[in-house]
Amino acid sequence: MNGKRVLTIALRVIRQVIRDRRTVALIVLGPILIITLGSLLFRAKQAKIPLGVVDQDQGITSPVTGSLNLGQRIVEELDSSDSLSISHLSRSEADDRLKDGTVQAVVLFPEDFTQGFLKTQQVILDLRLEGSDPVKSRSIQALVAQGAMKGLANLGNRNLNGGTGGSGGELQPVNIQTTYLYGGREFDTFDYVAPVYIATIVMFFVFLLACVAFLRERSQGTMERLAATPTTRGEIVLGYMIGLGIFALLQAAVILFFTVWVLDIHFYGSLAILFLIIALLALVGVTMGIQASAFARTEFQVLQFIPLLILPQVLLGGTFWAVADMPVYLQPLAYVMPLYYANMAMRDVMLKGWSLAEIWPYLAVLIGITMVFILLSTLMMRREVA
Amino acid sequence: MSKNFGSIRAVDNVSISIRTGEIYGLLGPNGSGKTTLIRLFLGLLRPTSGGIRLLGEKIPNKKVLGKVGYMTQASALYEELTVRENIAFFAQISGHYDRKWIDEVIELVDLTEREKSPVRTLSGGMRQRTSLACALAHHPQLMLLDEPTVGVDPQLRVTFWSYFHQLAERGVTLVISSHVMDEAERCHRLGFLRQGRLLAEGSAADLRHKQHAATLEEAFLKFASVREKGALP
Repeated sequence: MNGKRVLTIALRVIRQVIRDRRTVALIVLGPILIITLGSLLFRAKQAKIPLGVVDQDQGITSPVTGSLNLGQRIVEELDSSDSLSISHLSRSEADDRLKDGTVQAVVLFPEDFTQGFLKTQQVILDLRLEGSDPVKSRSIQALVAQGAMKGLANLGNRNLNGGTGGSGGELQPVNIQTTYLYGGREFDTFDYVAPVYIATIVMFFVFLLACVAFLRERSQGTMERLAATPTTRGEIVLGYMIGLGIFALLQAAVILFFTVWVLDIHFYGSLAILFLIIALLALVGVTMGIQASAFARTEFQVLQFIPLLILPQVLLGGTFWAVADMPVYLQPLAYVMPLYYANMAMRDVMLKGWSLAEIWPYLAVLIGITMVFILLSTLMMRREVA
Repeated sequence: MSKNFGSIRAVDNVSISIRTGEIYGLLGPNGSGKTTLIRLFLGLLRPTSGGIRLLGEKIPNKKVLGKVGYMTQASALYEELTVRENIAFFAQISGHYDRKWIDEVIELVDLTEREKSPVRTLSGGMRQRTSLACALAHHPQLMLLDEPTVGVDPQLRVTFWSYFHQLAERGVTLVISSHVMDEAERCHRLGFLRQGRLLAEGSAADLRHKQHAATLEEAFLKFASVREKGALP
């Protein structure tokens, strides 16, 4: 062991890293970018959950108690919650608003809501949840139950039941009967996250594959040789898209079957549509890789693209945070992330069982992005292939 | 034509015409502009001034490239693919795949036994031979070979040159760059290249004769010194 030689090696290593200015910059800037995004997302004030209310409660008027409308009271309590934003809906609007996602849940108060309470000594709430996000579903249930309890507490000691049955002790005062539009009681958080996991992994790997493959094509000189053949840039890009796209689909198939059958996630939609979405996203990944390879000289520099190009997509593309829950000034960024469109489409298909007729706008955007990226990666190759 | 890279004049007012079926040697030391010239011929670089015609077509022209074979200085091959797969790939991508011809090419470069080996397992000389085979794979009419005999053993070098002559007899035009003077003797015509300028052009005998030189090397040095004196005011 010779200390001098060790030092010599250390010095050379330091010199090499410093020469690669981009690496030095990214060692510092990459983590700062990611950690800033993370802090913005984690510290974001939770957006209010949009809750629809259909209040048809007629209330009662009796000479003993005066007038009482329990539905109205509960709605007032819900309205005063910081976590909910209430919109009053008609019975016929309720389902549509749940479906288009403008409300996350609807509470229905039938005409005889107050009367029913007086009879049974129990508040029976009809709660209809959108249901695709299990975390949100649970917090809505809790918030609604809380509102109902408060509504009851405010009744104070008014003797509503005329003293007929004071022993309601065995009964839960609030009974929420929940129905789910999508998903259901058995859906857990992993069911919500799994579809976008698959999308993210496929894009990530195909991006790396394409980026490294293209880089090697340049470093081993074969790009120069290709340039000296009748081959056009477009042909090279399309060839890569097909070749690597097939591997992306194989990978997607394995992950998909594993998550559906081994990890047993809940799954509604059609496998064919899922494949279509993943295929499109894979093409986006290939073209992204080709474009990025133009800015990398070594395979290590390819890795540096991960905090710049991949992680922001994961953080801002609606993977773990629903876009509506992100800080308002970050939300527009979601719409420039290709992953966002795949995430939304995957989720709608897997959790809601939606078909092409409903998710086509996302697919259209993905196809558009692919087209633009094909064009861009073709242009990026200008330096190599005339 | 001329080609500048920033303020560096890599090719300085060079005018060359190469005849069909001849072997033209681009001779000059490292950095004299041989590779730049070949890349200009292929349209991989655009000349700063002037223009190029290849097989009668104005360059850049993708179609013409189907009839041109190009061998780069460092072997440019797909490491994971076998010898045959590499050769077949370049034949197909250039639009002319003929199995029999590829067998013949592999035999020529003496790699029949290794045709199924991945390139990454080959020695430097074998790579160079595979590279030449790739340039030949699509039956080109014109071959641009950038230092093809670097790293090839003397015996095989003789085989290469006799094959170059066979090709020329069949009407294939060859442009071969080299910095090895004794190889140049085997070219029909030579161009001396130095600092991006064409010093002299002619057959080996002509060039020696002009400078009353015994060897090409001597002739080259004399041409170079004349040029330098001439450039002084």
